[in-house]
Amino acid sequence: MNNQKSDMSRASIFSAIKNATPTITKDAETIQQEALEILKESEFARPKLSSDDATEALVLRIEAGLVIGTSCEKISALDDLPASVNQFLGKYSLPQELKVQGIDRLQKLNWQGISTDIDIQKDNTVGLCWAEYGIAETGSFVVHSSTEMPILLNFLPLYLIAVIPKSKILHYMDDYALIANEIAKKGETPRNMCLISGVSGTTDIEGVLVQGAHGPEILHIIILEDQ
Amino acid sequence: MSQTISNTDRTQSNAIDCLNISEKKVGLFVTCLVNTMRPSIGFASITLLEQAGCNVEVPELQSCCGQPAFNSGDDEGTRQIAYQTIKQFENFDYVVVPSGSCAAMIKKNFVEVFKDQPEWLARAQHLADITHELLSFLVDVCNFEPTGIELEGSYTYHDSCSGYRSLHVYEQPRKMLSKVKGLEHNPLNGHAECCGFGGTFCVKYSNISNEIVAEKIENVLATEADYLLGGDMGCLMNMAGKLNREGHKEIKALHTAEVLAGLAPQLSGGKDAS
Amino acid sequence: MQVNKPEDFYKNVSKALAQPDLKMIIRRTTDKAEKKRAEAIANFPEFENARMQGQKVKDHTIKYMDHYLAEFEKNALAQGAIVHWASTGEEATKIVLDICRQHKAKKVTRSKSMLGEEIGLTHAFDNSEIERIETDLAEHIIQLAGDPPSHIVWPAMHRSREDVVKLFREFHLDPTYSEEITDLVRSARRDLRTKFLTSDIGISGSNFLLADSGSTCTVTNEGNAELTITPPKVHIVTAGIEKLVPSMAHAVPLLRLLTRSATGAEITQYITFHNGPKRANDADGPEECHIVLVDNGRTKMLADGMEEMLRCIRCGACMNHCVVYKHIGGHAYGSVYPGPMGSVLTPHLDSLEVANKQTHACTLNGRCEEVCPVNIPLPKLIRSLRARSWQKKYEPLTNRFIVQAFAALAKRPRVFQLFCSCGVVFMKLFSRQGWIKYMPLTSGWTRNRDLIEPESKTFMQQYRKMKKAKSDGV
Repeated sequence: MNNQKSDMSRASIFSAIKNATPTITKDAETIQQEALEILKESEFARPKLSSDDATEALVLRIEAGLVIGTSCEKISALDDLPASVNQFLGKYSLPQELKVQGIDRLQKLNWQGISTDIDIQKDNTVGLCWAEYGIAETGSFVVHSSTEMPILLNFLPLYLIAVIPKSKILHYMDDYALIANEIAKKGETPRNMCLISGVSGTTDIEGVLVQGAHGPEILHIIILEDQ
Repeated sequence: MSQTISNTDRTQSNAIDCLNISEKKVGLFVTCLVNTMRPSIGFASITLLEQAGCNVEVPELQSCCGQPAFNSGDDEGTRQIAYQTIKQFENFDYVVVPSGSCAAMIKKNFVEVFKDQPEWLARAQHLADITHELLSFLVDVCNFEPTGIELEGSYTYHDSCSGYRSLHVYEQPRKMLSKVKGLEHNPLNGHAECCGFGGTFCVKYSNISNEIVAEKIENVLATEADYLLGGDMGCLMNMAGKLNREGHKEIKALHTAEVLAGLAPQLSGGKDAS
Repeated sequence: MQVNKPEDFYKNVSKALAQPDLKMIIRRTTDKAEKKRAEAIANFPEFENARMQGQKVKDHTIKYMDHYLAEFEKNALAQGAIVHWASTGEEATKIVLDICRQHKAKKVTRSKSMLGEEIGLTHAFDNSEIERIETDLAEHIIQLAGDPPSHIVWPAMHRSREDVVKLFREFHLDPTYSEEITDLVRSARRDLRTKFLTSDIGISGSNFLLADSGSTCTVTNEGNAELTITPPKVHIVTAGIEKLVPSMAHAVPLLRLLTRSATGAEITQYITFHNGPKRANDADGPEECHIVLVDNGRTKMLADGMEEMLRCIRCGACMNHCVVYKHIGGHAYGSVYPGPMGSVLTPHLDSLEVANKQTHACTLNGRCEEVCPVNIPLPKLIRSLRARSWQKKYEPLTNRFIVQAFAALAKRPRVFQLFCSCGVVFMKLFSRQGWIKYMPLTSGWTRNRDLIEPESKTFMQQYRKMKKAKSDGV
């Protein structure tokens, strides 16, 4: 019966809209054209990046302290990752353990005795994930949910390390939207697409910023120079 | 497509045929607050307009711009008042108003109440097109610069909301005041924040209005200026009234036109300027 | 805390103004928001273009609302979501509760959404057997305190650190004994973590509904939306139908505007697009996804010529910059949406008869419109609601009488000028040394300020005399 009620509401919403805007033509192609026309303005309606090179712009943004709780470094080969991770653990005096995302290219690295499969449900843990994309405009990394990417890996640990391949760093959010559109055309849209730009923060108590509200307090971005 | 889209027409209103201003007939809409409470602003306006070379007339059959009715939602009452104003003023080349909010009422809001009356809508639109706030008219249309005016001391400036936001009056009064010898500008913190007058608001919500104006005068007093200037009698009455109630006699509230016309030294409450 | 009602607005205002620390509490938040927004806009010279574009995106979608709604529904279904429609808030909460009951849910986690507040979801759960857990830190605080939100972005801004210390000590299982804000946040982190992971159903709102993909979108700084949505078996989204945009690319300009206008940050930390339930082999995620599309007055706004209000992206800039909000605070409005946006929305959600006092509590100074990221002409809309209220005769009779009497005078210039002249004579009777401290009929003015003494004659009287003298002289 709930369905019936929902159908009735659906019908009444549609007829209310129709009655309110009776003279408007609703030819799908015209509507799409109009929608695309608006997107042409994006070029003049977004902030300038501090560098034409997307990776440089991303790095500059993080180094300028504009991405909350975030640091970054570059590595030239994936094999250098465990050493970087080790250094990160040392910097924050953390035990030699973390949760490494379950993908081959990360799992098969030589982790030199660092335990790589801890339970992230408890607090104070470290997570390591492989980002699909980086976005210079916002200092973001992007993750897609999948068999190999538990979304919670990005939200439960107190410390998070994200690896972004240099070749996947985009200039603007608009560029990511185009890619998302291509993925959708192939019918491969993941359940979640997360644009993560800094750490979990709150200003809810007297306006004071505290990092690590529910998720990461510290985020370290490692750019893999794969080009 | 245009690369810079801007919603301000501050610069566009410049340079409307500023030539041959003396051949143009300018009608002064005095406003009811100036008429009743502070005629000197009306005379100062005439003086300035004449100095700028205008041929000024004051139609005798004028009353109020209709804001109290309009802002209360009484569209019919507003129309009744607007019919009069349109008839009295539509044949001038320019209509000038020594108040940002009354000018904005005629320029922006008359058309709102005539949406269903095409003939009056056109007449209201015409009146809107020829109507100007005094200080912006003097600078933007007449290219006027005051000369030979002296006033020793410092002023701070309250930008009334309608003048500032609806009509983009900001630079013009400051530009003219910079020509007054001996007068310095102490900028006001929150210069364009509402003073709490709001027409009928200040009596309907007297308690909220009081809190707002109390904060406003704190900012005004912090400037340590000798004069509080503005372009709207409503705001000035509100702020001056609060200043006096709180015992602050050290700062005098004046309309910018009064200063520019050289009337400032002899003005005080209750005295005639004419 | 006693919950204020919109119809008691006058009383609520007096109560707010009598609260000695309220102004400090409000300013702590709004001053900072105002300053940070100004900095963000100064660092974004393309802002005017962005807001024109943002406005166009919303106007386009509103113009073709039924087209995009149908497209959204089709694509959300294709993603495996279940789409529900609700004309009213009551219908929407019933749908949500029915889903929870079908799944025999005992505990639900909820990430903050204004729509949830608007449709009364919080109360609906409180009156049910199901435990509701708010996960946004501010919502968590006001849930513990039993308060309604006082701001749409910082719902707990009225609560001090001392209040939070007390609340957390009383309610958290493993509370902190420190009064440091960082430790308080950690205490909430510990308390909420187990709740995230053991919740039966996660409920969220949606900042955008992407028509071309059927995606919903959450925008947070805390990351609580993803933690609310991912662990439980079921995800329920409630969203107003005005949240539609054609595509992700169209949401981007609005994202640029939203955070800068709300908090002054350039972007929020977490922007997540949700597309139906988990895929077959996904590592985590809900198995069922319900989207409840809610009208609740929105089509009425469309029909009433209030379509510009449907652009609103709920950033809260209008209230942060409102002189009235800054003195009376959010609770005085007695409604979910305070400030200028509330003055337009509440009459459509409740009724104009109930909420017309709020539409009058505005000086029409235009600051809200000036800072609105999608150019909503709030003063114009507020004024047009006054006009509607006037036609329906909702105002107090004395107010109507005074305005009508004034209009009747003002439409007859000769009579009006006579009235002004008499007014001057009358005022002179009460003037002392240039000022009037008290005068009958003007207590609204003279209660708090003096009235300047008028000159001896009106402008018109003096002008006529002067003209006559001139012509006599000639």
